[in-house]
Amino acid sequence: MSYSDTILNIISKKSFRKGWNAFIIFFFLIFVILPTVYILSYVFTHWSAIETNVLSDRETINIILSSIAASFEIAAIVTVIDFIVGLPLAWLIVRKEFRGKRFLDTLIDMPLAVPTAALGFSSAIFWATTPPSIEAPPFAFGAISSPMLLVILLHIVFSYPYMVRSLAAILEQIDVTYEIAGQTLGASKLTAARTITLPLFRAGLVTGIILCFSRSLSETGGTMIALATMANAAGFNTGPTLIGEWKKLSVTHPELIPQLSFVSILLIIIALILLAILKVIVMKVRLPFGKVWPRPEKILSRGFAPKLKDAFSLVFLLFFVLLPSFFIFSYVATASPSGGDWGGFWGSLSYSFGIAFIVTLIDLSFGIPLAFFIARSESRKISSVLDVLVNVPLIVPTAALGFSLGQFYTDQPFIPAIPTLLIIMAHVAFTYPLVVRNVAGAIEEIDPSYEETARTLGAKPIQAFRRVLYPMIKSSILAGSIMAFTRSLGETGATQAVVSEALTAPVYIVELVKGQEYYLAGLACIALISVSYAAMLLLRYLTRKKGRSV
Amino acid sequence: MPEIRLECIRKSYGSVQALDHLDLTIHSGEYLCLLGPTGAGKTTTLRIIAGLTSPDSGKVYFNDKEVTHVEPEERKAVFLSQTYSLFPHMTVAENIVFGPNIRDWPDEVKKRTLAEMLDLVRLSRRADAYPRELSGGMQQRTALARALASGAEVLLLDEPLRALDARLRLGLRRELRSLAKSLGITTIHVTHDQEEAIVMADRIAVIRKGKIAQIGTPEEVFDHPNSPFVANFVGQSNFFRGVVVSSNDVTLIKEKQGRLLPARHSHFKAGECVVIAVKVGNTEIVKSEDGYLTGSVERILFEGRNLFVDILIDGVGRCSSKIPAKFFDRIKVGDNVGIRWDAEKASIFSLEKCNLDEELKVE
Repeated sequence: MSYSDTILNIISKKSFRKGWNAFIIFFFLIFVILPTVYILSYVFTHWSAIETNVLSDRETINIILSSIAASFEIAAIVTVIDFIVGLPLAWLIVRKEFRGKRFLDTLIDMPLAVPTAALGFSSAIFWATTPPSIEAPPFAFGAISSPMLLVILLHIVFSYPYMVRSLAAILEQIDVTYEIAGQTLGASKLTAARTITLPLFRAGLVTGIILCFSRSLSETGGTMIALATMANAAGFNTGPTLIGEWKKLSVTHPELIPQLSFVSILLIIIALILLAILKVIVMKVRLPFGKVWPRPEKILSRGFAPKLKDAFSLVFLLFFVLLPSFFIFSYVATASPSGGDWGGFWGSLSYSFGIAFIVTLIDLSFGIPLAFFIARSESRKISSVLDVLVNVPLIVPTAALGFSLGQFYTDQPFIPAIPTLLIIMAHVAFTYPLVVRNVAGAIEEIDPSYEETARTLGAKPIQAFRRVLYPMIKSSILAGSIMAFTRSLGETGATQAVVSEALTAPVYIVELVKGQEYYLAGLACIALISVSYAAMLLLRYLTRKKGRSV
Repeated sequence: MPEIRLECIRKSYGSVQALDHLDLTIHSGEYLCLLGPTGAGKTTTLRIIAGLTSPDSGKVYFNDKEVTHVEPEERKAVFLSQTYSLFPHMTVAENIVFGPNIRDWPDEVKKRTLAEMLDLVRLSRRADAYPRELSGGMQQRTALARALASGAEVLLLDEPLRALDARLRLGLRRELRSLAKSLGITTIHVTHDQEEAIVMADRIAVIRKGKIAQIGTPEEVFDHPNSPFVANFVGQSNFFRGVVVSSNDVTLIKEKQGRLLPARHSHFKAGECVVIAVKVGNTEIVKSEDGYLTGSVERILFEGRNLFVDILIDGVGRCSSKIPAKFFDRIKVGDNVGIRWDAEKASIFSLEKCNLDEELKVE
């Protein structure tokens, strides 16, 4: 028996498989879930510090409450707008056939390739009233002077694709024949869509809302940059930007730790509660879809109205999403060049890439087994609990997550708190669910009888996975990797909250903007956009090529 | 080829008892059909034999060797799901050599096995096709070839003909059986189609609520059912309740309006409550004065070769009969007719301990 056969036999033993599963779950609980919510324990261990530093200090508590309230308001408004304008677009790309549909399909995803730090700078230059030192192009919109409005406009840019994608995914699964049946029974197009298809949307709606809401709640880097770019944002903070700012100050003012903990705890708890409530409301509450207004709906179903709706959603995509995303190019083209430290930028860019690469690797090695366990475990109870837990790091705002994680690793004695290691662990915590979600979803789609048949044909479990299941879920694994990679590449909040002086590319850009080196920041944004876009295209190309050979 | 023995197998999913002290022996090289309604535990039995599900208690033996906890890949018992589970990303040839590849056989052996198998299932010209490009019948043959190439000694077929259209299904019944028999493989074929089981099986095991209700040759199970359930599930039956009057070569019973009905010889004593079961096909339609019972024709269904006639019997209820289609012109709805049967073809069961309606439930 050869060496590899021996290994194959050992890892195929039932006892080994059990141990391996236990290890994977252990990793998930200890390195992902525990650090994410670790900060909650601070309430019990340091209550007196919170009491003296936060609760008894009127001014501090006002700052905290107003920034957190701003965060939730922004997230709610953004989610509602995303839904209202995302639905027609999702409908357009799933149900309509037209020339350039594929092109439109790619356009929607483009903002996802742009790290939010770059988006923040680009959108702010386009929308906001900026100080003259920035030299915004004369054709920029340049009239938004409310910081809150600016942040809302920015958050729409990067959360909109998530909403459209989630809605489109569920719409694709809803059989169009229901609607056709409704129409043959005498309903107008609008009535049929509204009363038949829309109520079937709930699952997709929940995914879309959670993604948009938590994405908006988490976002730090882009928001910070946008606020730093606009003329008069002084004093306006969202929860995550407050954490970023204070964390930076805490290096020299350690007495800020209780305040930081308090903000993080509030963000985590409110986010979890709110999203739980949201889920219940969307799934359980009956929406008044039953009522029908045949005449007005018939009029709206014909002629000009549907065309207007399609045109409106396209204009929205162009003017509110794509233009702000890529406005940075015209800025760099028109602004007067200035020199600067390019070495620092390339250093931070390669640092970011290195981290994103390692993070994706860890996500894959520990995420695929967990996904497999969730999708295929015989004990439905354990797997459904894990299924819920996996979402926690997605929902928790990343800045709070980062701060929690930083505290966790400083407090425990086993793992040295090396900055790079901390950043990697923080990024693993919030990208891990992306891989698990994608892969578990794909495995659940596949009939287990494929692997079972392979087993009865003589394949050991690992061989059945490698030869039968893996080729079928390859594209989902790649999709999960792309998401994890780009998320890690673009993340600012968590990075700053773990290690305030870390120099990943997005943090570096934030620093450039704060240091008023706008031209260099613009160039850096373009470089970041180009590199991540190229990475995304490459991965797309790879998935497509492999997809064809299957 | 192994003889398979299941001893006292129990399996439940939550509160649902799938198998309840099931005992079953499949002889070496036998073609056994496991016949039962949906939810009876057929697939669970198959999965336990394959090793894909482990029983809560009880033992599984292959040739007297206990294999209850042996991994599926070590049993040489290939499971074929309803849809065959051909690996969609592999060609026919790649599917067939999946087993040999896993076991890392030498290349020339692999090549020879592949050629033999392709020849056996007549797919040599489609070796490079992907499963989705094949017809249902070809897919099934590929799945069989894949099973045989892996050195299978036991074939576990889960409704293998279900996904095929009706015409093809009839042809493949014979083909599937003769292939398995010629190779001497022990085969267990799960189906809910009694006709399929009767045509294909060496023996039929009728399963109900997680237990084997009856096992025997198709003739035994069809002509000598051991319970009203089997009588009705394997070929539809008409049931008549009554009290035993006499029991000699022929058992005579009296139904509640006093009419005498004959059934085959039995050990029941006079006065016992019984029910007799007559297969629909054995229920003859005669002139009303010649019938054991009389009634009026309620409905006639033309089934091509046969007529399926529903008759409303006075004081009993609806009865059915299957008669050759050539009688089409001689019978019409509303006719007064009689029904009768050959006493030897009527089975008789005690009603003392059973509730007939409960007994006949299929779910």
